[in-house]
Amino acid sequence: MIFNTPLFFWFFCIFILFYGFAFLRQTPKVYLILAGSLVFYGAWNYSFIPLLVGSGIADYFIAQAIYNAQTTQHKKRWVTLSIVINLGLLGMFKYADFVLLSVADLLAALGYNASISTLSWVLPVGISFYTFQSLSYTIDVYRGDMKPRKGLVEFVAALSFFPQLVAGPILRARNILPQMHAIKLPEWSAIKHGFLLITVGLIKKTGADLLAIPAQKAFEAEGAISTLELWTGVLAFAGQIYGDFSGYTDIAIGIALILGFSIPLNFRVPYFAVSPVDFWRRWHISLSTWLRDYLYISLGGNRNNNRTRNVFITMLLGGLWHGAAWTFVAWGAFHGAIITATHGLANMKIFRGFSESNARLVTLVKWAITFYLVLIGWVFFRATDLPSALQILVGLHDFGSQVEWGNNAMAIFVLASVWVLLVHIMDFYVIKGADKLENKPWLFWILMTLGQGICLFIGEPSNEFIYFQF
Amino acid sequence: MNLSISNSNQTDTESMTSRKIYAKTIMTTGLCMAAAMLIIHLILLSMGAQSQGVPGRVNESRDALQQIVREPEDVVMFFGSSMTRAGFSPRKFDADLQKMGKQVTSFNFGFGGLNPYFQDFFSRRIVEEFEESDRRLKLTMIEFNPFQTTTTRWNRARPVLDAFLTLLASDKELFEIARQDITRGVRLFNIKYVRANISAEMITTFFGREIFPPQRRQQFRDDEETIAERRRLGRLLNEQFDKDYPNYVDSEWSYEWRGAGTIPEERSAETLALFDEFYAVSQTDARMKNDRLSRIRSADIEELNFEPLLVEHFINIVKNFQRVSDNLEVIMLPKNSKWIKTSPEAEERLARVIAQIEAATGVTIKNHQSIPEITSDMYRDTTHLSRYRGDIAYTDFLVSQYSNIL
Repeated sequence: MIFNTPLFFWFFCIFILFYGFAFLRQTPKVYLILAGSLVFYGAWNYSFIPLLVGSGIADYFIAQAIYNAQTTQHKKRWVTLSIVINLGLLGMFKYADFVLLSVADLLAALGYNASISTLSWVLPVGISFYTFQSLSYTIDVYRGDMKPRKGLVEFVAALSFFPQLVAGPILRARNILPQMHAIKLPEWSAIKHGFLLITVGLIKKTGADLLAIPAQKAFEAEGAISTLELWTGVLAFAGQIYGDFSGYTDIAIGIALILGFSIPLNFRVPYFAVSPVDFWRRWHISLSTWLRDYLYISLGGNRNNNRTRNVFITMLLGGLWHGAAWTFVAWGAFHGAIITATHGLANMKIFRGFSESNARLVTLVKWAITFYLVLIGWVFFRATDLPSALQILVGLHDFGSQVEWGNNAMAIFVLASVWVLLVHIMDFYVIKGADKLENKPWLFWILMTLGQGICLFIGEPSNEFIYFQF
Repeated sequence: MNLSISNSNQTDTESMTSRKIYAKTIMTTGLCMAAAMLIIHLILLSMGAQSQGVPGRVNESRDALQQIVREPEDVVMFFGSSMTRAGFSPRKFDADLQKMGKQVTSFNFGFGGLNPYFQDFFSRRIVEEFEESDRRLKLTMIEFNPFQTTTTRWNRARPVLDAFLTLLASDKELFEIARQDITRGVRLFNIKYVRANISAEMITTFFGREIFPPQRRQQFRDDEETIAERRRLGRLLNEQFDKDYPNYVDSEWSYEWRGAGTIPEERSAETLALFDEFYAVSQTDARMKNDRLSRIRSADIEELNFEPLLVEHFINIVKNFQRVSDNLEVIMLPKNSKWIKTSPEAEERLARVIAQIEAATGVTIKNHQSIPEITSDMYRDTTHLSRYRGDIAYTDFLVSQYSNIL
């Protein structure tokens, strides 16, 4: 079920009727959330419900076993089992074909004609999100950061909580489980903020779908394309992926607020970042902090002069998390490289002043460099394969290109730029000053109605959210 | 193992608060959505989305069906694409038959923009109306248009797929779709009953084409003088129309005019001369080349890679009309072979599809593509017959072919 479809609208209305009027006590509410989440997930494909529930049940009991284990050795065995189960599922469904095909390609390059058949399994939607969420629970219990929770239904309901099930944010067990244990009745102000976030998310998604047109034109062009149109396409994709993904999480957070749950922010105006490190503090925060806490720190973090290696591995795997393709590996590697370079340059005397300066001009230069690097990164992310990514990168810097612009190329470039900027200004305002708007009821509801109207008018509900495929 | 969940001691007051807050939530959501939908309806109304173009013509002709089935004389219907719309004059057809002592009332059901998938649903609605009234069609002519049945044509129809479907399909048919795909089914009912048959895709595509106009890879251009002359003559023809038909009520499908078609006798010699002049500057080399390229891009007109689904739906159209027709003809309309040259492979593919349709329906397709009665100067572009000349000549030909069965 997709948030911006009539089906979800009616599902949510019916769900609210039960949630707010019939299932008023804690226990029935949890059962209702679980049932609603399974219906929500099952609308996409019912056959993968056992996988979702099964991995949740496994981690629930593994966490108990970790806690009850007498020795560190035993605890380690249990947590390893949890890691193997979760990453095993992810590996089988998401990466098996990629590995098999890569091996076949490698053998072919070495002169062996190996016939390797692929699994061709359907990727269960949201698997990357819920396996990471489930893993965070067993690892936290293993590290002693939290005690295992009692209540299997609560645990599975939290894992499958429909607002964030298929495209995040990746919730931490320590954040969502206590909320599921004592579901709060939301304040009207929280519900209003939920409405605001849902509307903002829908507007972003609608804009993202429109930006998909020039992005596709640049990334899937059949013939030669001008430098300006390539830049337009890359910029449009930057706007598309941000609008699409942050739009989804805004709606998820908004829905959760209406249900009485608080889900942490997943994006903090990322294209205003002034360094690659800063970018990852603002982009897909739930994933970047997950990778930091459970991978980067496990690798040793900043200790033993291995920071470069650890950053690189973390980003590489972060890239691979997004999809089973070399383009995602290259995207992760690229970000690993620019973060490492940023650390390296900051430590050099010659750049230290620049790095530490907060002067406006310097900040502007830092922002420009960062935004340029992020855009270059998106080329790897969106390109159909590595050779086309390299071709686009060359094309982007071919300022002597003889290829003529298409109709309205400049206008579309300006529109895409303005949209990216406006969305960030809107987000900045929502983060910093939403309460001011929410305290002016007439203006607030008129804006909500207009926002919903725009989305209903031009929104294309047939387009899925990009992050569903991850 | 502990399967229990903690119990909260929620009081009745808390329950009341919950009901109050969620009642407010539901009410606000409903009001917000209703207001948003009202805005959309007002915009669509101001755009004339329901009354113009394909939806307008479909709605008006469908509304006319109740009157058509009550016609006292035998009814003839020509069902097809924009080529039918441009090429058949029902009033001329009726008048010629009347001279032979045959009383019929014929209708032009030619629709641009409806491929056989949509036409299948539309034909079901027409047939239902005839069956409910226990009425039959004396003659049904169905156009088989090869380039409306290509994969390219099918792909180009995607943005309007759901909107046109909701316009043409019955609730029962939509419910059947919903049973197979609940998401799409709810979406279709939403478009039909909440969005006045206008999908978001239609609007996005409409505005998208304005903002991101499709690339014209090869464009030929007339000289400025020719363009200016064409515009001048176009304006003059419009003015002349207003003079000749001062009481004409603007519509997409006019009952009075039986759907489309011309009557030269209704126009002055001066107007007919203007039409000749207009077509002379319209059928320039550059314009025809551009038109040909546009048909290749939009309909694969020369290679004819057929879409099996559309062929199946065309077969359904024939079968639908067979239920209510005394006589039924499937016809391929005249082809402007001066400009459109199908490849030998396309001809082979066409022959196979014709054989498939004939085998499935038991009807032999009449090929009017190269009849000598229609010459290359009788087209207004690379596919459509011209008004007052092409349509008249072709209607004459149809009279000569089918008067004996009426």
